[in-house]
Amino acid sequence: MKKLILSIALVFAVVIVKANDSSAYIKAMKAKIEQFNKSQSLEELQASANAFERIAQKEATEWLPLYYAAFGYVKMGFNETLSLDEKDIYLNKAIVLVENAEEISPNNSELTALKGYALMGKLTADAASRGQTLSPQVMQTFGKAIQQNPENPRALYLMAQMEYGMAQFFGSGTEKACAMTQQSISLFEKNPSEGIMPSWGLGGAKAMLSRCQ
Amino acid sequence: MKKLNLFITSILLLTSLKVLSQTQISGVVKSQKGEALIGANIFIENTYDGASSDIEGNFKFATTESGQQTLIVSMIGFHPYQKQINCNGTTITINITLKEKIDQLNAVTISAGAMEASDMKKAVVMKPLDIVTTSGALGDIVGAFNKLPGTATVGNDGRLFVRGGDASETNIYFDGLQVGNAYGSTAQNVPTRSRFNPNLFKGSFFSTGGYSAEYGQALSSALVLNTIDMPLRNQTDISVMSIGGGITQTLVGERNAFTASANFMDLAPYMSIINQNMEFTNAPSNWNVEALGRQKIGKSGLLKAFVHTESASLAINRDDINETEKIHTTVDNTYHFGNVSFKNTINESWSYYGGASLSYNTDEISLENIALKKVNKLAHVKGVLVHDVSDRFSYKNGFETYQKHYSEEVINNEAVRAYNELTANHFVEADYYFSKKLVLRAGLRSSYNDLINKFWATPRASLAYQVNENGQFSLAYGQFKQLPKEELRVQQNNLENATASHYILNYLYSKKGRTFRGELFNKNYNQLVQYSNTDGFDYEGLRNSGEGYARGFDLFYRDNRSLKETDFWITYSFVDSKRNFKDFSSQVTPNYAPKHNASVVMKRFFQPLHSQLGFSYSWNSGYPFHNPNKAGEMQSMTKDYNNLSFSWSYLPKPNLIIHFECSNVLGSQNIFGYEYANQPNTSGIMNGRPISQVADRFIFLGVFLTLSKDKNANQLNNL
Repeated sequence: MKKLILSIALVFAVVIVKANDSSAYIKAMKAKIEQFNKSQSLEELQASANAFERIAQKEATEWLPLYYAAFGYVKMGFNETLSLDEKDIYLNKAIVLVENAEEISPNNSELTALKGYALMGKLTADAASRGQTLSPQVMQTFGKAIQQNPENPRALYLMAQMEYGMAQFFGSGTEKACAMTQQSISLFEKNPSEGIMPSWGLGGAKAMLSRCQ
Repeated sequence: MKKLNLFITSILLLTSLKVLSQTQISGVVKSQKGEALIGANIFIENTYDGASSDIEGNFKFATTESGQQTLIVSMIGFHPYQKQINCNGTTITINITLKEKIDQLNAVTISAGAMEASDMKKAVVMKPLDIVTTSGALGDIVGAFNKLPGTATVGNDGRLFVRGGDASETNIYFDGLQVGNAYGSTAQNVPTRSRFNPNLFKGSFFSTGGYSAEYGQALSSALVLNTIDMPLRNQTDISVMSIGGGITQTLVGERNAFTASANFMDLAPYMSIINQNMEFTNAPSNWNVEALGRQKIGKSGLLKAFVHTESASLAINRDDINETEKIHTTVDNTYHFGNVSFKNTINESWSYYGGASLSYNTDEISLENIALKKVNKLAHVKGVLVHDVSDRFSYKNGFETYQKHYSEEVINNEAVRAYNELTANHFVEADYYFSKKLVLRAGLRSSYNDLINKFWATPRASLAYQVNENGQFSLAYGQFKQLPKEELRVQQNNLENATASHYILNYLYSKKGRTFRGELFNKNYNQLVQYSNTDGFDYEGLRNSGEGYARGFDLFYRDNRSLKETDFWITYSFVDSKRNFKDFSSQVTPNYAPKHNASVVMKRFFQPLHSQLGFSYSWNSGYPFHNPNKAGEMQSMTKDYNNLSFSWSYLPKPNLIIHFECSNVLGSQNIFGYEYANQPNTSGIMNGRPISQVADRFIFLGVFLTLSKDKNANQLNNL
């Protein structure tokens, strides 16, 4: 009887330890994501990216910590106070992190969309010089993300941004861009993200839609 | 109850033990210069425990791990730092110094003599797109480079003339391998074009002196063109132009891509409408077919194969001052070029690249009743091994061979002259970064040629120093050698290398869309070929006895920021050049070296018009020429050269472009020199005749349509 209780206890202990382990990961991610969502300044974003990189080096089979670290660097790369070289340094780092994540999770629409976002940052950093070569590349990357998961609202929202910019540049109508934005908003609302999965973008999409009207 | 008490006590004990085993780690992160580093990531390996350094470089965190642990500090732009620490509950204070990492983005690059067309560089001298969107370039790669500092426009030739050097002093490379006969064959005073379609290339590197030991057999300049690695999508490009048309199909796979293109050009319809100053009996025409395949190898390798074949012809009735009748001249050219290149990395510190190219050119030229046939073959094989020893030091070792064949034949009397040769070369070049602000490059190129049976070595060195965030100085020195032109060597096989030594000082300033570049140069020539007499075909008294120099400075300013949606650049080049060459008895300024050269290029996109408008203006102070009626040599000067060109690209839909271009809008009557009669007329004066433009203007109209799934794709690259 004692033995039985002991074995049950052991089983429980093991289960608890295991659950504890992965819940430690989820817990840490949740805390850092919350902190990340509040980050504005370069210092805050860097601290968040660092935190995700720390989680990433421990959890070698998880792509999300790398995703969020890369996202932090993408946000830094869009900071207007930085020089072109500095922006490139952050955006290149983001691309490297995304590529590392892709080795863990290949054909991942979220990762492809984020890579496109980083490339879009490089394009925005010097549109006059880079527009011609980078804009087709950015469009192609977002296109690939949509192909990988047609229900990914972020891929659609980012593509809509590019379409909007292209339409403005060529002076053609923004109907397509606006329809895509509308579609992304429906997807955001249809499939709300759960847990620690990427959930950003709805606010931006709504703001963009308001420009359409 | 006792048991329960014991249980609670032990839990409490355990928890308190845990509290006790927390280790506080704190410290400060600094650079080697002692600056506080903000945002460094400090953590214990394989745990979540860590922190980021604050604005003073301070950090502080606690860990529940115990025993021997690895502390890691990482930060962008610095080498990672590692240290073993013992976590036993006592507070650890640690001061960390991070060593700066040198990478392409933050390190200084050598800019002396070099102009790189790249999208990603901060200092924009040239962008890949400029090759095709510069008005007046007419889609010719060389046309756009002719509007950069250090070049001189020679309107009756069309090739690249760099810093007082002859066009043959510039070598053109295609994915690292030399192109033989890179320009189309043409008749005297009818300008030529480079052979390749500009939209093959993603970028280029143009050096007007002091270039790397990787390139040889060019006294003045190297132009390195790199093809697009992987196109993005399947597409069909169709062009219909006032002078011809073409179709290009691109197919893209997961790991490979293929592009095939067929083009033809015939100036006959155009010339029947627009008046020409020369009498063409057969307007210039050309067809070409080319294909480029790419295959990715492994993780980062790439193999490319390219073939190009073309055929061209033209015929003119040319005025000759010594003849009463016009001279009928025909030129028929067939040309084949093939190129296989590869690049790959072995591991983090070793990589290699190389390839092989073959150029095969046949010209059949007839002058009245004399028929000449010239054949050039060039095979170039190259392999380079690169070793990145550290982020500060890297070196490369390369071996290459050139096999060359040249023959010329007077068909009517079966006289053939020919030679074959092999040149074997080795080069080694090392880059050392003293810091990210100071870099030294030193190289040595050694060569052996079996025809002259000589061995030689040429050293190269350059240095770049970054003064501040926006400005940098570069210095370059190099020895360059080049064997004389085929037409001369075929008559005297033992003619040796001509030599040039370059000294260059460069200043480059770039800040947010504005680039300024100034360069001072001195080039000394030795062992230039001289001869005592020629009838244009046979040369007497050939010898390597000439010398000369070219010195001066270039100024360049480019700005895409000051004027709204407008990109413009201005260049000015001053060249003082003299050389003792050909059959001159003294040092003279060559015909192709105008003293003052300037150009302005401007482009602007007008959204309401859906159009890009561009103009370019080229000017020089005139071409020296020899007037036999006056004392001395090359003592006269033509009037100054002016060319204002205008272009308009209209994009009604993203995939459709209508392009209009007109060169020399003002119709300036440019003169490139004079030719004189061999014999004096009755009043004892040798009659002269100006060498003028083929036509006053060149007008181009083209429609470019792109068909692909992506409706935004277009051929802006083709213009």
